[in-house]
This record gives sequence, structure tokens and C-alpha cells, in this order.
Amino acid sequence: MQWLHLGIAIIFEIAVALSAGRAEGFTNRRWTAATLLSGAAATYFLSLALLTFNVGVGYAIWTSVAGVGITLLGALLFGQRLNWRKALGIVVIIGGVVGLQLSGAA
Amino acid sequence: MSNSAPNPARSWAMLLLAGGFEVGYALAVGGSEGFTRLTWSLVAVVFFLLTLWALSVALRTIDVGIGYAVWAGIGAVGAALLSPVVFNETLTAFQAMWLAVIIAGVVWLKLADRPQEAPPAAASGSRELQGANV
Repeated sequence: MQWLHLGIAIIFEIAVALSAGRAEGFTNRRWTAATLLSGAAATYFLSLALLTFNVGVGYAIWTSVAGVGITLLGALLFGQRLNWRKALGIVVIIGGVVGLQLSGAA
Repeated sequence: MSNSAPNPARSWAMLLLAGGFEVGYALAVGGSEGFTRLTWSLVAVVFFLLTLWALSVALRTIDVGIGYAVWAGIGAVGAALLSPVVFNETLTAFQAMWLAVIIAGVVWLKLADRPQEAPPAAASGSRELQGANV
């Protein structure tokens, strides 16, 4: 259940990133509202996940996997190149999450 | 980006502040226990707005990739170090090592997202996309 909550929180955190990027320094009202709403949803589901996860562990997985999602979406939707450096970062993060899970922290 | 650069020291102070707010946010979200505890919940909301504000001010002058790397690094390291203190949680050495791997990965990933290699003409375009990285 905590993984489901964390997954939903990660999806909303990616939405925060996408909408904040369009909020033009929070001068665009619609995207600013989208940023705040998705931020509120991300925060709520993160708090549910943290009922089970250690705070430091859950937070790190949340922010880093959201980062992976943002980079992958950038490549898929916005035509950003996925160079070896980004790929390495993604592999390291996923390896770390798997390692944490196997070590019983997550 | 450098057209309206005021004071770099101030921007960096703002970025460090944003990282500190993010640590407060992480701890308060954890302490809110699913937003069932009022005080922690209110503190979480305040830190959420503060971190968003401070980060957006800092990123007016600091390179987005570097700014995110520093901000995310401070937030994750701070939360990892302080949450055992605040919440009486335990972490084995192995778990701490994997946590360090994840945090190093996210800092690396944010740094790799810099549009540095792009030619000047393309740089403004990728800058815009970088904005989608908040």
C-alpha cells in the first residue's frame, strides 16, 4: 500500500514540475494553480506513504524517482536528448531504490 | 538569464534557504501522519510554499540544473540525517549506503540536465524545457 501511495505522490510531483515550468515565474495564473494543486496532492500522498516508510528513505525515493520521470518525459514528450550522463543517473537511482528495498528499508 | 542578475551571493543564500525549507517540508509531511495532526500539517503547508518561493527566486539567476542539484541534495541529505533524530527511526549502515547512492544519483541527474552543451541558438529553447524540471 505504501508503494501505491508513493507512486501516486511521484506522479503528482512530476505534474508539479511540468506545471511549474509553464507558470512563468508564477505569473501565469492557470499554471500556478495547477502547480499548487498537484503539489498539494503530491504532499498528501507522500504523507500517507511516510506512515510506513522512514521519512528520510521515503522522501529520497519520492524526489529521485520523480526526477527520473521528469527526465524520461522530457525525452519522450519534449524531444530532449537522453545522453549517457542522464542514463547513468537514472540507472544509479533505480539501483539505489532496489538496493534499499532489498535491504529492508522500503 | 544573466541579463537581470542582481547579486549572486544573495541568490545562493536563497538557494541554501530553499534547501533548508525543503528539509523542513519533508520532516513536517512525515510528522503530519497522513495530515491527521494539525500543527505538523500547517507547518508542512507553510514550508511547501516557502520552498517553492525561495527556489523560484534563486533560479532566476542560478543555472537551473545546478540549482536543482543543490536543492534536491540538501533536501534529501537533510531529511535522511534529521529524520532519525526527530522521529526516533533507525537505519542500518547498509540502508544508509543505499540512501547515499540514491541521493548521489538524483544530484548527478539534475547536473546532467544542464543545457550546457547546446549551441547558443538552441540554448534558449532547452532553457525553457529545463523550466519543466521544477
